[in-house]
Amino acid sequence: MRRLSRRDFLKLGSIISGGVALSRFAPKQALTQPSASVPGPNILIFVFDAMSAKNLSLYGYHRRTTPNLERFAQRATVYNQHYSAGNFTTPGTASLLTGLYPWTHRAINTGGPIARAVADHNLFRALGSSYYRLAFSQNFWPNYYFGQFLPEIEKILSPASFSVIDQIISVKFGADLVDSHRAFGDLLFQDGPASLVFGVFDKMLLYEAVARASAPDYPGGSNGIPHTENYPIYFQLKDVFDGVRATLESLMPPSLAYIHFWSPHAPYMPTIKFDSLFEDGWAPKPKPVHALAGSDFRSVRHMNYQRQKYDEYVANLDDEFGRLLDALDARGILDQSYVVITSDHGEFFERGVERHLTPLMYDPVVRVPLLIRAPGQRSRQDVYLPTDSVDVLPTLVHLSGAEPPDWCEGKILPAFGGVEDPERNIFMMDAKYNRAFLPLTRASFGMRKGAHKLVYYMGFKQYQKKDKFELYDLDRDPEELSDLYSESSPLARSLRDELLAKVREVSGKPAS
Amino acid sequence: MSRYFSRLPTWAQIAPVYAVIVLIVYSWTILWFFWRMPGWLYYLNAGEILMAYAYSMATNFVESLVVLSGLLILGIALPKKWFCDVFVARGAALVMAGLGYMMYLGDQFKNTVDFPKLALQAWTVAVAVVGILLIVFLAGRISIIRRVLELLADRATVFLFISIPLSTLAMLVIVARSLI
Repeated sequence: MRRLSRRDFLKLGSIISGGVALSRFAPKQALTQPSASVPGPNILIFVFDAMSAKNLSLYGYHRRTTPNLERFAQRATVYNQHYSAGNFTTPGTASLLTGLYPWTHRAINTGGPIARAVADHNLFRALGSSYYRLAFSQNFWPNYYFGQFLPEIEKILSPASFSVIDQIISVKFGADLVDSHRAFGDLLFQDGPASLVFGVFDKMLLYEAVARASAPDYPGGSNGIPHTENYPIYFQLKDVFDGVRATLESLMPPSLAYIHFWSPHAPYMPTIKFDSLFEDGWAPKPKPVHALAGSDFRSVRHMNYQRQKYDEYVANLDDEFGRLLDALDARGILDQSYVVITSDHGEFFERGVERHLTPLMYDPVVRVPLLIRAPGQRSRQDVYLPTDSVDVLPTLVHLSGAEPPDWCEGKILPAFGGVEDPERNIFMMDAKYNRAFLPLTRASFGMRKGAHKLVYYMGFKQYQKKDKFELYDLDRDPEELSDLYSESSPLARSLRDELLAKVREVSGKPAS
Repeated sequence: MSRYFSRLPTWAQIAPVYAVIVLIVYSWTILWFFWRMPGWLYYLNAGEILMAYAYSMATNFVESLVVLSGLLILGIALPKKWFCDVFVARGAALVMAGLGYMMYLGDQFKNTVDFPKLALQAWTVAVAVVGILLIVFLAGRISIIRRVLELLADRATVFLFISIPLSTLAMLVIVARSLI
């Protein structure tokens, strides 16, 4: 064999490096949609960030916040006791997308990733490449998961799509989406920003674009348009819904589209039409301030005002969503699709807590909507047994004709092939101040069983790091005002033992 | 054309000014990086944190070259006597004042809610630009300021021996990870 000369070596090196560089521009097989001879239905998942079931007229709230969801529900299956496994975006969304509880996927911190050992356990992979898989989240955090799932998603839309200006650079970094999102989105171009030259110019461009945006529908003009909080993205609801509509209309079945709207997450910014819609003087019955409410205490009056704004924003969102559904219906897309409507967590305006950054596990912050419409479904069906966000993945996999994966911690939902089990335990948890790699030492757990909900606060200094339990009967006391927990109650002891056994089982060091 | 390029400063003049740019741009990012890191330690491993830093270094490298390019263009555009002959002092002064102003602007964008109206009004920007130009003018005129700036810039060149190799390595890692 001829010895490689220096010149040959340089030639070879340049050919290889050129090939690697050009490979990026080569057409990718995965970006083309598969053409099935008999296409199955689409799966369209709409997630509304921070939408509490307690504030929806669909579920009996006295303010008429969701007339369009009610209309949609007439042709869908409505889950009346559906819970998110987490009480903020990171664990709630991760559980929805993985079918795993937060103690397993370990996306427990604000903006934290799914544990590397289980990142391939996800909806996109479970449904497989027979679907064209698209993901869009205005909330920046789920985009870390999309990056982790990347080989399984054909198209990831920028979180700033359909917004005033799409200035997100990290989406350009192809295979390294997670790290580039982390660096650009969480540091360099984040508020601050850490990039002194590009970051400051980026912010100036953004604010200039916002100032110039035409927003006649909003009370404060361009200053009153909605925006995200964990990364500055400014948008008008109608633009986002128009963009999503156009995107969905371009899909060919079978496609999976995961659409995660920022709204109705704070800041609550309804249009003029909905601003002041609920200035009705109504105030809910005050509830006692909780020991874990934290120092960021707000007055009842302030929280009632925030609740009103939230309700108005939900009504605004519902109106836009109704417009989207009508457009999809007119194009026949709804009848070709399973449509899932849900949320990653709820929202809270009571007990001294505003919004959802709380260890508390009361229904407003963990009970979320779930509606599923099968292709061609014409009548409403109601499910009253408690269900969980980890159930969505196995249900959709089952509906696609495949077996739900073994690793999944959820069950197929009743009405879509699942068995109604009144004795089943539904779990929810919060451990945002716990390190993701270590055993859980400070966390709150909720367990719903039948009509009862047991809450366990573990390791909180407000309770001298001693175990603290609360028990509610949600049939008799839906506002969770009477704590029934007593060591002398056989029911309380039985539920406590069950929950503690589960916590002992899952709170150790996670798989690495 | 060669008339214009003859106005370009020599490498011996460019290096100290570039070092000042590097010192400011990289330090600002490092400060924020360490402010952000305690939160990351909850859920990122060392490799992931290093990757975030690699992106930061690569961005800083490009930023510093952009700023340097701006100075070199000024050097070509302005009369030699005004800028090129006192490149180290006036360049360093311009970099310090200009990037200092960018730091002030960056500080105005600390949260998404407040629109930094005052800082972005035309008259406040104009006042800042006049102030910066005055500093640059004085830096070339007052010998003590000029000497101090030249001394500082000269001392800063040591950072180039760290930043350039590390940034090059960071860029290679990013290109490799993004492509493959």
